[in-house]
Amino acid sequence: MKVLPVSYRLAVTSRVLAAVLGGYIVAALASVSLSLWASMPRADAVVTGMMTSFLAYLCAVIWCFACRSAWRAWLGLILTSLVLAVVSGLAYWMGHS
Amino acid sequence: MKEGFRQAMAWLHTWAGLIFGWLLFAIFLTGTLAYFKDEISHWMQPEIPARSVSSEASLTLAQNYLQQHAAGASRWLIDLPDAREPGLSVRWQQSPAKRGERGQFTEKLLDPQTGAEVQGRETTGGEFFYRFHFQLQMPYPWGRWLSTIAAMVMFVALISGIITHKKIFKDFFTFRPRKGQRSWLDGHNAVGVLVLPFHLMITYSSLVIFMSMVMPASILASYNCDVRAFFDEVFPASSTPELAGKPAQLAPLAPLLERAREQWSGGRVGRLTVNHPGDAHASVVLVRDGADRVVHDFGSAVTFNGVTGHLLATTPEQSLPRAIAGSFYGLHMGHFAGPVLRWLYFICGLAGTAMIGTGLVVWLGKRQLKHAKSGVMPFELRLVEVLNIAGMSGLMVAVAAFFWANRLLPVDVAGRADWEVNSFFIVWGLSVLHAMARRGRAAWVEQLALAALLFGAVPVLNALTTPYHLGITLVQGDWAMAGFDLTCLGSGLFFAWAAWKMQRSGTAEAVIRQRAQPITPEREVN
Amino acid sequence: MLLALLLCYGGFTALCLSMDRHHAELLGCKPSARRRRGMKLGGWGLLALSLWAAVSSTGWGLGLVEWFAVLMLSALLLVLLMPYRPRLALSLAGVSLLISPVAAFAQY
Repeated sequence: MKVLPVSYRLAVTSRVLAAVLGGYIVAALASVSLSLWASMPRADAVVTGMMTSFLAYLCAVIWCFACRSAWRAWLGLILTSLVLAVVSGLAYWMGHS
Repeated sequence: MKEGFRQAMAWLHTWAGLIFGWLLFAIFLTGTLAYFKDEISHWMQPEIPARSVSSEASLTLAQNYLQQHAAGASRWLIDLPDAREPGLSVRWQQSPAKRGERGQFTEKLLDPQTGAEVQGRETTGGEFFYRFHFQLQMPYPWGRWLSTIAAMVMFVALISGIITHKKIFKDFFTFRPRKGQRSWLDGHNAVGVLVLPFHLMITYSSLVIFMSMVMPASILASYNCDVRAFFDEVFPASSTPELAGKPAQLAPLAPLLERAREQWSGGRVGRLTVNHPGDAHASVVLVRDGADRVVHDFGSAVTFNGVTGHLLATTPEQSLPRAIAGSFYGLHMGHFAGPVLRWLYFICGLAGTAMIGTGLVVWLGKRQLKHAKSGVMPFELRLVEVLNIAGMSGLMVAVAAFFWANRLLPVDVAGRADWEVNSFFIVWGLSVLHAMARRGRAAWVEQLALAALLFGAVPVLNALTTPYHLGITLVQGDWAMAGFDLTCLGSGLFFAWAAWKMQRSGTAEAVIRQRAQPITPEREVN
Repeated sequence: MLLALLLCYGGFTALCLSMDRHHAELLGCKPSARRRRGMKLGGWGLLALSLWAAVSSTGWGLGLVEWFAVLMLSALLLVLLMPYRPRLALSLAGVSLLISPVAAFAQY
């Protein structure tokens, strides 16, 4: 078995971390913003948000391993979660004021 | 990692599948067995007779029993018998010593015809496979978390596998046996693609089942961190009234069954909960049995006043999102499945298990080829080989050992149920040691042969240790008992065939290698 | 459920025969373009018919579940049978199509 360079190993580790942790954050934020924005009774919106979050997680994981470099993987996840955080923060603030 | 979307997905499929493969194999196999959990329990507790009785009669018996033995309890739970689970189970919860604590539960199994306590041998029965399937024999939240994580990995592996598989439609009907590595890959693709609807359903639904545990962010955000409020809204019947403190006679429960059936246009009652029996504020909650439809409704219940028998509340119709979640739950559990459909579920589960198993074999086979000539395997390949052997054939042997322990352990030994479970894990552990001690193919052959022997001899063991052998159960039409014996016999034959195949292909391969080496030493295989 | 199973098996066999490679394997020659098209149409038609058979007997909820179960099982059966017993696989398809009217009669 050929020896893999350290930089390659680090890049793979970084992608795995991005997929597992970053993906979870993206999925959680997606479920929050969906459940806050959906025009449904509260409990139904929450159930819908939770069910869809796994699809968001799946897409995030695929993104992390499909894009060209580990940096781009992180960048994409951070941008997505920032947007989702703003969207859900807006809904939260509107719901409480 | 390589360039290109499809290559990247192939990489993801390979490694996600490898790392979680053994865990997923065990989860799929035990989950498949859990589709017959009541039948397995029946086999493991042959003392409890299978009888058909009306729900009304057994409910009256249960009420009498509880009034005598648990009059002061804060809650009674009665599980009514049905065709698959003939036992009448009653549980009661003592009032907790302090507010906010959970009171202690006592459980008793009654004969649904006489109301007397039934003392079956102590065993976890099919419940063991069901619990292991999602709790992995770990303390409370950890096993559930790990199995849900495994489900997410399975989901990723499935989707990336579909993307990787280029010729899904062209190779739809392709299976080429007796071609070594090629056949394993064909088999992996065939059981993956042909049973794909089941794989996707079972994987996604397992995520949906535990979604409020693993993805609670939206509950926290919408309910201001009050998770209790969410569950009260989703399961309205679970909130209990306050204690009145005045004693009052509980109304007969049996007539309530008919009234619940009217509410649900014929739907059966599965479980009754009586809150504060003997109190003026007693209430009776009748929960609908999920077995009559696909869409499972968690909260579907009617509540009656326990003293006057007035209807207090019904749960409203399920909304669409909750119906979708409920149908995923219902599809995963398959409570609604009759005998034929249950067998199809079982076959689909086996196909899923086979998909994971063949995937693991393909991973190793592909890499072993490079080291076939030197005959020395690097450590990581040897590790995968040992885990493959112990994780697949060793697990089968352990399942058989679990059944053997049920028949061989003395009935009155202390902690009997625990020792059954222990023997499962001890045998599984021994299979790891055996796989480490022996060379790959020899270990496969020996463990498969042992599994064949143990499974094939189950009907004999059953005939020797209990009076319920095949000659009697087949004549009496006790299909759960007879079916178990016959299925074990069938699996024994299958494992014998697999062991024989493995043995033969091993010798054939050695002959080919010996013949081929002097002529074409650089022969490329596949 | 029996009717749906028979129709599914027949349908998958037709779809399988509409592919050059499998047609050659099972019948020893390549199919003509017309035959290929006919097999394809017939196969999809039989699958659609089996969906109708499953749903009309037990309703949409259970019917869809049963249809998927039967769909997966019949395809698995066909694929596992073909390499080992090709003649049996083909004759099973013929028999299942022949007795499907009987099954339909029993169902309604």
